[in-house]
Amino acid sequence: MRDNAKSGALTEVTFFVLISLYEPNHGYGIMQFIEAKTQGRLILGAGSLYGAINALQDRNWIMPLDDGTGRKKEYIITDTGKEVVNSEIRRLQELVRVATDIVGEKI
Amino acid sequence: MKKCYRYFCGLIDIQESWLNKMAHKGYRLVKTGKLVYEFEKGIPDEYQYAVEFVAHKSYQRGEDYKRFLEESGYNVFYKNANLNYSIGKLKWRPYGEGMGQISTNPGSYNKELLIVEKKNDGKPFELHTTSADKADYYKPIRNAWLTIMILPLGLSLWRFMDIKAHPYEAVAFLIFGLLCMIPVIRYQKRISKFSLQAKIEE
Repeated sequence: MRDNAKSGALTEVTFFVLISLYEPNHGYGIMQFIEAKTQGRLILGAGSLYGAINALQDRNWIMPLDDGTGRKKEYIITDTGKEVVNSEIRRLQELVRVATDIVGEKI
Repeated sequence: MKKCYRYFCGLIDIQESWLNKMAHKGYRLVKTGKLVYEFEKGIPDEYQYAVEFVAHKSYQRGEDYKRFLEESGYNVFYKNANLNYSIGKLKWRPYGEGMGQISTNPGSYNKELLIVEKKNDGKPFELHTTSADKADYYKPIRNAWLTIMILPLGLSLWRFMDIKAHPYEAVAFLIFGLLCMIPVIRYQKRISKFSLQAKIEE
């Protein structure tokens, strides 16, 4: 987890974990979400995900949902987390705009 | 049921590849003891194994991580890297994180490693997939070997300074210290490689 504090740039893993939690989801579900949304390009190991979840919880971008049953722990994104996602979307759009201005639309 | 007696101490990669070789022959791990591994015969290549170092984590952190892996659909066994049978043991781990610096038995002692079992889905089994996380994972392993290395090198120096001591004693400790340096260098290389990759990629 090496999110750039100055520019606000998130790592791809951070970004995907955040958007996978707009609906309550557990660890295994997050891994499946990422694999499905990237058509298998990005596969996240459980160890790396565990680190990411803890780091995001420490920042209060996500929080655990206590369902009381003590079974699989589910997480959900917080309002702070949603703000981070919104500013990341703006940053990425800006990045694409600058790049296409120079490189052109055709890739 | 097949019983195999093996002791891999801190040689994580070797233990991992041995378990995968057994799985390739159709043996599935059912139980681990200090020196013994129990397998049951099944279909070849049905399972994959990863050995994970957790000695730097506190008992609670280690348990939490184990539970997380189990919830992710894996089967998890504790495994010792030490070989010590005493109960009521208390040990200082300079490479630990927070409460992970203190290891007790019963507690996190003799639970230095996790053996993680996954049903083979044809994809490589990696618990750590991002460069930054790989670098972070290897650091405590390097530090653990560094801790082990310092003692024989210190003893070697002490025997070397003592004129009355036999030179062989200094040499013996030196050789042992240098052997422990091999994993330190190997893990340091990995850390450097992945740290550099993390700077560019992520």
